[in-house]
Amino acid sequence: MVPANARSKEGISVKNSSTELDLLQSEGVFRLMVERIRDYAIFMLSPEGIIASWNEGAERLKLYKGEEIIGKHFSIFYPEADLASGKPAMELRVAAEVGRFEDEGWRIRKDGTRFWANVIITAIRDHDGKLIGFGKVTRDMTDRREAERRYRLLIEGVTDYAIYSLDKNGIISSWNSGAERIKQYSAEEIIGKHFSQFYTREDAEGGMPAKVLETARNTGHYEGEGWRVRKDGSKFWSSVVVTPLRDDAGEIIGYSKITRDITDRLKLLERIQQHADELEHRVTEREQANAELEAFSYSVSHDLRGPLRAIEGFSDIILTDFGSQLPPPAVELLKNIVRSSIRMNRLVQDLLDYSRLNRIEIRSSTVNIAAAMKDACEQLQEGLRDKVTVTVPATLNVSAHQGTLTQVLFNLIINGLKFYPPGHPPHVEVTAHRGAKSVVIEVQDKGIGIAKQHQERIFQVFERLHSNDAYSGTGIGLAIVKRGITRMGGRVWVESEPGKGSTFFISLPAA
Amino acid sequence: MTPDTQFTKPVVLLVEDDSFDFQLIQAALGRTPGEINLIRVEDGDKAVDYLTGTAPYDDRKKYPIPITMILDIKLPRRSGLEVLQWLRSQTTPICRLPAVMLTSSNHQVDINRAFERGANAYLMKPESVRELATLLGEFKTFWLKRMEFPEVDGKPKNWC
Repeated sequence: MVPANARSKEGISVKNSSTELDLLQSEGVFRLMVERIRDYAIFMLSPEGIIASWNEGAERLKLYKGEEIIGKHFSIFYPEADLASGKPAMELRVAAEVGRFEDEGWRIRKDGTRFWANVIITAIRDHDGKLIGFGKVTRDMTDRREAERRYRLLIEGVTDYAIYSLDKNGIISSWNSGAERIKQYSAEEIIGKHFSQFYTREDAEGGMPAKVLETARNTGHYEGEGWRVRKDGSKFWSSVVVTPLRDDAGEIIGYSKITRDITDRLKLLERIQQHADELEHRVTEREQANAELEAFSYSVSHDLRGPLRAIEGFSDIILTDFGSQLPPPAVELLKNIVRSSIRMNRLVQDLLDYSRLNRIEIRSSTVNIAAAMKDACEQLQEGLRDKVTVTVPATLNVSAHQGTLTQVLFNLIINGLKFYPPGHPPHVEVTAHRGAKSVVIEVQDKGIGIAKQHQERIFQVFERLHSNDAYSGTGIGLAIVKRGITRMGGRVWVESEPGKGSTFFISLPAA
Repeated sequence: MTPDTQFTKPVVLLVEDDSFDFQLIQAALGRTPGEINLIRVEDGDKAVDYLTGTAPYDDRKKYPIPITMILDIKLPRRSGLEVLQWLRSQTTPICRLPAVMLTSSNHQVDINRAFERGANAYLMKPESVRELATLLGEFKTFWLKRMEFPEVDGKPKNWC
């Protein structure tokens, strides 16, 4: 071999050959090329392991110059532990026996620093088969090893995901801490086992593991959810992603598998589903109850009012046809029967209206207040209409249910006209004005007023502040007002002073 | 009321199961001018028998074809709505018979169904006998005096 210091400083330049091809095929050029390679340490060893040549790559990697290393034994590159175990000699023996030895391991530079080397030792024999030495190619893999180490640490440190690899037959070949946490096996006890043991017996017998790998192989990806079994036999609901690992030639060399325990999510979903089912059940029940109530109200309105009509009607007929033949007290008593039946009829009607308000679906739309007021006034008895003064801007609209708003206004007007002391002509004033987001309608009377302590009670069903003799009524009118306004998303309240009158306020969303 | 065999007054068939309501209607009619011959049957089946002339209504001298029919909805055996449906599906001129609903239900569903099945008017039974008299007075004036009536007696017609 040519000593390293014979290298040309001007690069490879040989001028004696006739053609370029001859030149390139010449041994001298080949030797020069090896000498100038910088990325690999390439050098020759004698059969005993004495360094016989040195190239630029070797100098760069191991920091020795040719003149200081040639003639030394190659074991100089090995760490203490390798020397103690006789590794250098072993490597040469294997290379001599099988022709080649490959290894990865720590090696020592001239300055004592370590690098991770990929080493290939090739035995060189002459034509008679006699061993004349070894060629040694060393590559610095420190960076790659470090990157791999970091990557491995990263994966191993992940605890939320089980990340592990399988060989192409499904045998587990790596295991991270997440896998240990989720599946409870340590790396030592699971590496080398087949991954089908994570599946439930039914899934394993149904060929699920093989199908998973087949899908990953054929489509490049498998993703699924299912029950898996821990070491202690307990099950967990997993989300699994399997990706095939291929070598440079595209051949499958294994699979990576990422498993997540999503049992909590499943339980949460189940609970949500349970709640949804329960809710649906309740809605159905409620709809049934509503339908029954509807049928009940219907028969109340039909059946209960029939006899009332008869009582009122027959009393009226007696009064009309035979009144002149009756003593005056009997006429009075008959009139009481007529009044009572009329009152009861109204009570039934009001109750039906009130219960309907609780059940019916109230769909709000744009309602003109002036129009609703007009409808409400038309429902008043003829003699009462001129006792109402309405001052409402023609263009003022609210978001409400037309029929319900009319019903509410009607009840408020009737209420306002009712509570006047005997002898005072009743009068009600209705005004409306627009606020920021809502419209406030005011129904004002100058009647007897309501004491402070009663102002909340009056909106409850059957709450009455006066005897029926003083002020007749069913005690439902204001309850209808409150319920109707509340169901339309509005508010109702009263301001009043005994002896001066009351003002009822309704606030509804402006439209 | 016994049927008027002289046919001088217009015959109106009332289908009403409640005899008190029937009496009230009679009383209210009595307070209004203009006379009619009101014939009452108690349920839907009898109404159909009457209109088809089935016994005991096979004597048209005693039980003449009415010029209009007043129907309650809630009736025993066959409801007012079923009677309507039957009536409008007939292939004889009786299918033209004007029908007025008079009922205590103001249920929108009932009102809609009645008109779907071919009712010509829908009236609520008022709360008092006075209002009932007013209503029936208006009915007599408009329905019996102003309205033009179809032929409801005779041979089957192809179009019916």
